[in-house]
Amino acid sequence: MAYGKELWRRLLYLARGSRFHSELQDEMQFHVESRAEELHRGELPRAAALAQARREFGPAARAAEDTRGAWQIRWLEDLASDVRYSARALRRNPGFALAAVFCLALGIGANTTIFNLTTSFLFSLPSARDPSSLISIWEGGNSAASIADYKFLRDAHIFEGTAGLNLESEVNWRNADQTSRLYAGLVTDDYFSVLDVPFHLGRGIAPGETATAVLSDRLWRGRFGGDPSILGRELILDGKLHTIVGVLPANHRTVFGFGYSPDIYVPAVRDDQMVNFYARMPVGMTIAVARARLESVLQELDRLHPKQSWKRTSQIQVTAVTGGIASFGPGPLQQALAAFFGLILAVAALVLLIACTNVASLLLARASSRSRELAIRLSLGAGRLRLVRHLLAESLVLTVLGAATGLLITFVCGRLLSSLTLPLPVPIQIVAEPDRRLLLYAIVLVMVSALVSGLMPALKAVRRDANGLLKREQGQTGGGGGLRSVLVAGQLAVSIVLLATGFLFIHNLLRATSINPGFDLDHTIWTSMRLVPERYPDQATERRLVDQALERLRSLPGVAAAAITQRVPLNDSCGIVTAARTDLAPQLVPISYECNAVGPDYFRAIGIPILRGREFASQDGKGVPAAAIINETFARIVFGNQDPVGHSVVMGGGFTMRVVGVAKDSKYITLGENQRPALYESYFARDRPMNLQFIVRIAGPPAGLVKPVQDALGQLDLTAAIETKPMIRALGLALLPSQAGAALLGAMGVLSLVLAAIGLYGGLLYTVSRRNREIGVRVALGATPAQVLRVVCRHSLVLVGVGMTIGLALALLATRPLALFLVPGLRTYDPAAFLAVVGVLIGVALLATLVPAVRALRVDPMTALRCD
Amino acid sequence: MGHDSLQLLPGTLYLLILRTLAAGPRHGYAIARRIKESSAETLAIEEGSLYPALNRMLVKGWVKAEWGVSETNRKARFYRLTSEGRKQLASEAGEFDRLVNAIQMVMKTA
Repeated sequence: MAYGKELWRRLLYLARGSRFHSELQDEMQFHVESRAEELHRGELPRAAALAQARREFGPAARAAEDTRGAWQIRWLEDLASDVRYSARALRRNPGFALAAVFCLALGIGANTTIFNLTTSFLFSLPSARDPSSLISIWEGGNSAASIADYKFLRDAHIFEGTAGLNLESEVNWRNADQTSRLYAGLVTDDYFSVLDVPFHLGRGIAPGETATAVLSDRLWRGRFGGDPSILGRELILDGKLHTIVGVLPANHRTVFGFGYSPDIYVPAVRDDQMVNFYARMPVGMTIAVARARLESVLQELDRLHPKQSWKRTSQIQVTAVTGGIASFGPGPLQQALAAFFGLILAVAALVLLIACTNVASLLLARASSRSRELAIRLSLGAGRLRLVRHLLAESLVLTVLGAATGLLITFVCGRLLSSLTLPLPVPIQIVAEPDRRLLLYAIVLVMVSALVSGLMPALKAVRRDANGLLKREQGQTGGGGGLRSVLVAGQLAVSIVLLATGFLFIHNLLRATSINPGFDLDHTIWTSMRLVPERYPDQATERRLVDQALERLRSLPGVAAAAITQRVPLNDSCGIVTAARTDLAPQLVPISYECNAVGPDYFRAIGIPILRGREFASQDGKGVPAAAIINETFARIVFGNQDPVGHSVVMGGGFTMRVVGVAKDSKYITLGENQRPALYESYFARDRPMNLQFIVRIAGPPAGLVKPVQDALGQLDLTAAIETKPMIRALGLALLPSQAGAALLGAMGVLSLVLAAIGLYGGLLYTVSRRNREIGVRVALGATPAQVLRVVCRHSLVLVGVGMTIGLALALLATRPLALFLVPGLRTYDPAAFLAVVGVLIGVALLATLVPAVRALRVDPMTALRCD
Repeated sequence: MGHDSLQLLPGTLYLLILRTLAAGPRHGYAIARRIKESSAETLAIEEGSLYPALNRMLVKGWVKAEWGVSETNRKARFYRLTSEGRKQLASEAGEFDRLVNAIQMVMKTA
């Protein structure tokens, strides 16, 4: 603190500059003249008085110098002069500077881009005032609870404010004669005021309002052209007029994080709607206190309005709202995300290492061609430390320039990514804005890179004996040749590891794409129909609509089958962890399975073969015991070798289902997943949400039938939002992990190849061109060009060979743990990928050797011998 | 410098300046004269060394400087103690007293 103030005062002094000096002169002159005046009054002649006063004052020049010294920030001024000198030196050698800055820009840019993505994705503080005082509340182990419970909690006034939000809601927007489904955030009327969310236009939904709406930036720009006079416009949402009162800014981050952002926010109006609870703690309240208060309120609520099967107080969770990875709580998903981003950050760090090695090897080459200059400076008495510092300043200048360019790359990438609409069945919007964390990270990278790339060459350059260097250099390869070879080989090794990783993930994507999902992608159409809840007050009206829809679909020419399902595989999933037994044996088997509810004809429509038993029929309704169809894996785990058809599955809780059929295994969440057990129940066994999913099977190619299917359903209910697409285009989530992995790691692999190729090329080019004299001698002594080339190439190939051997060995080891991210069955050892990598690098090595060697051969031996 | 004047112990110049400024703002020459007078001319400082010391104190924030008009109606730079300077004076004066007492005790008893 005190030091900081001192530094600040010193910096102010720097700003005063020359005025400081003239003021100091004035002050000292005043001192001397005052004393002289006094002595003169004491009857000394004026001249003698002045001389006496000067004597008493002492040497004025030294006083002035010492006074300036009191203010100076030594290291800063030295640094400034070093930087100035380096900048001049670099300007004299623009080719070198450009190559180094280019390498560093790629290396640092890759790191800052990945870091920016990681932080904005995994650690995104929500857009709210003072997020640290916000908490998320779970009652009874459930993330969501009813609006009725919310009102009770709100009216207990234990927090500064209590709000509810359901990010996973939807509304139908009727626009002219079209109805489209929007991803909606369902909020309590005080949500925006409790969180104090910043707005781009207008305001949030205000307390008491039931028919207002807030637009996201994406919807506002995408569907309303960014109209600045949008406020006050009315939208028909789920058949009701809503007035637009606000537009959120483009960088709005929700409390959930991960860029999850609905299109529109509307107020919750019914007491049975479910929301997640958020609260703002008053100043000074801790999470422990919040929990205790909450517990007593929920106890009261349990007493007044008890739940049948569970207690609200049973599993209370109160957590800080941090957005991103913390939203999930500890678990396998969190671990997988952390591992994936950790891997990419590590890979990016290795890319930077390669870039730094390039710069180090360039600096080494430069140092050996500047060795005469350094030797002269050393012998003239420059301190070694001073020279090291000066050489380091040079790499600092390079890294700062590289980092600036790298940040520019990050900024452009962030802009591009933010403008992308991802082809996913969830509203994810990347908000990759540069922030303070990024700047800090870039500064750390600059320092580390400057040291890594500059320290070794600088030490090496000044360690040599000044006398020896002043003499004409005798060696052909120049100083640092051995070290440079080590760098080139090491760099090759690292880049092979990275390339192998990148190839592996690309291979993984190709493999994942070709995986058979276990159902028919080529002859099926998926059409979804979101209904406005108010229009279907009971199950009977909804059932009537479903029947009508299926009838219309089945009567379309070209349609072979149509069925309703609760979830479409690879787009929506539901995992259940429980234990189950059969009616044949008493012991419970632990099982974690996928669940779905499907209507009659589903398996025929989607193309999953029924191996034994039958499909659901329309009479498999709410009968007891309920009918179930299980997949092969489920059958094997629970029934072993017995035929399950006709027997019962008893769940841990006692719920019994009769197995009517066994379906072939298929994929449920991602294409690359390990085979999971699955259980289907009849669609009509329970009440279902107002979101109908139909699978339509057709004889020919699906493209021609998309529109007829859409129209057939559209005529049934004008307020329903209908979306129809061929199944093959609905693989959004299924390939996401493989695609993200392949894109990011493939890009890193290519980047490392480019950098390693530059390093290899530069390193070999330099080494070979230093051998001009030797080549001249050989040619003069009668060696044929072929013999000369053989000698030079052998050196390069040995170098490349050593680097590659180490790299391949490392790659074999390093890629083994990656199996976690790969499609099952894909070996991490991939000979084709390794071979491709080796081929590319050998090609670069030969090119980098032959170009200068051939050039050297063309030179007249006498010229080569004379020049260095 | 007279033959009978004493050299300063290292570091005591700050203490003397702080003490002198405790009475009120003064310019550099006035500080030098005041130190000489109040020590009955036994303490003589090389007056030029006053300025590096004053500037080091400015850096540390013990004093502040402002331009003003001297008693002879000339432009002069006046130094004034800050609250930090007062704190520094209190602690340094206390330490100095203890040091002098300790030395005197040794000199009397040994």
